[in-house]
Amino acid sequence: MKITDACVYPYPCGDSSVRRMALEARSLGFDRLVAAGISSGGHYGIEISNGVLIRDITMKDLITRVRQERNSNAVVSVQAGDNGFNRSVTGVKGVHILRGIQSADKTAFDHVTAKMAADNRVAVDIDLSPLISGRGVLRQRAIHRYRDILLLERRFEFPITLSSHARSILEMRAVREISGLCSLLDMDAPDVEKAFTGIDTVTTSPNPAVKVI
Amino acid sequence: MGARPPTLREKRRYMLVSVEPFGTIIDRKDLYYAVCDATTSLWGDMTAAVIMPAVIASEGQYVIIRCRRGTERELSIALSTITCCRDNPIALRIVAASGTIDTLREKIKRLQNPDTEPASQHEFMVGEKLFQILYCYGQKVDVIEKGFKNTNRLFLTKEDLEEL
Repeated sequence: MKITDACVYPYPCGDSSVRRMALEARSLGFDRLVAAGISSGGHYGIEISNGVLIRDITMKDLITRVRQERNSNAVVSVQAGDNGFNRSVTGVKGVHILRGIQSADKTAFDHVTAKMAADNRVAVDIDLSPLISGRGVLRQRAIHRYRDILLLERRFEFPITLSSHARSILEMRAVREISGLCSLLDMDAPDVEKAFTGIDTVTTSPNPAVKVI
Repeated sequence: MGARPPTLREKRRYMLVSVEPFGTIIDRKDLYYAVCDATTSLWGDMTAAVIMPAVIASEGQYVIIRCRRGTERELSIALSTITCCRDNPIALRIVAASGTIDTLREKIKRLQNPDTEPASQHEFMVGEKLFQILYCYGQKVDVIEKGFKNTNRLFLTKEDLEEL
């Protein structure tokens, strides 16, 4: 189980190279980074996974895009939309993470979507950037939404991932700092540990109920 | 009013914090305002009054921040929400916490990075822009865009420079 930051944006999206982010991640206590638009590999002992973020796309195009990425070992995430879209996304095979739930509609993630996410092993991402850099209403709204999602998570047990969405090494936070920020969401240490390894849950294939010999 | 005897004084804790990026000139007053703003914004006036944060000293890239004993957790969470100090993007990394300033000063002496190479005049292209090295320490290399204003800073490594 590797402690993972589920989304960072290295250069050219951000101002830090992927190697520098890996170096920083090592000193901050991480084992793996999911880097958007960077091919998988490893630097300074940190595993780098390719992250594909799909957004502003119709359901038909989404399915085509996910099918293209199926054999690439990329971590496929989809930006959350309205309730119907999110339900459909959680049913698409090959989608690993549903992102941006804090900025989606209030009813975008309900108990039905939560059940579907749990059944299809699609993780819901907790983006820590509104907690770190947000102030006032923006942060309050994000905390409220995350608490609501965690309530559903405790009931349906779908995977959760934690991401800093850092575009610079200055936006990256240490594992201990993230644990502190998660305590604002009523997450205790085992919850945070589980969320840090949420990527493993969604990327590894589940044990089949019946083994064919 | 004279100083209170030690048994009647309130207990304090001191946190050693490293300020990134390397070479940031730290103005204690500006940093104090940033810490107070972050604490108040996250915890509200009541808890901020209990935490009572203060910037005590700064040495190089290290800063000592004081809080009331028992509020270290609240302060450390608040410190992780600081993203800029007077419009300069910064990050505060907590290094250690102690009950005395002396212990932290000794730790600073051990941590001070002696192998920092000064800025060089060597110029190179990143994309279509001209950059020059600002700081080079260990594997890390900070470069800055050449120009007078709107100069971007990039965070690279020596391996990245070799590839350019």
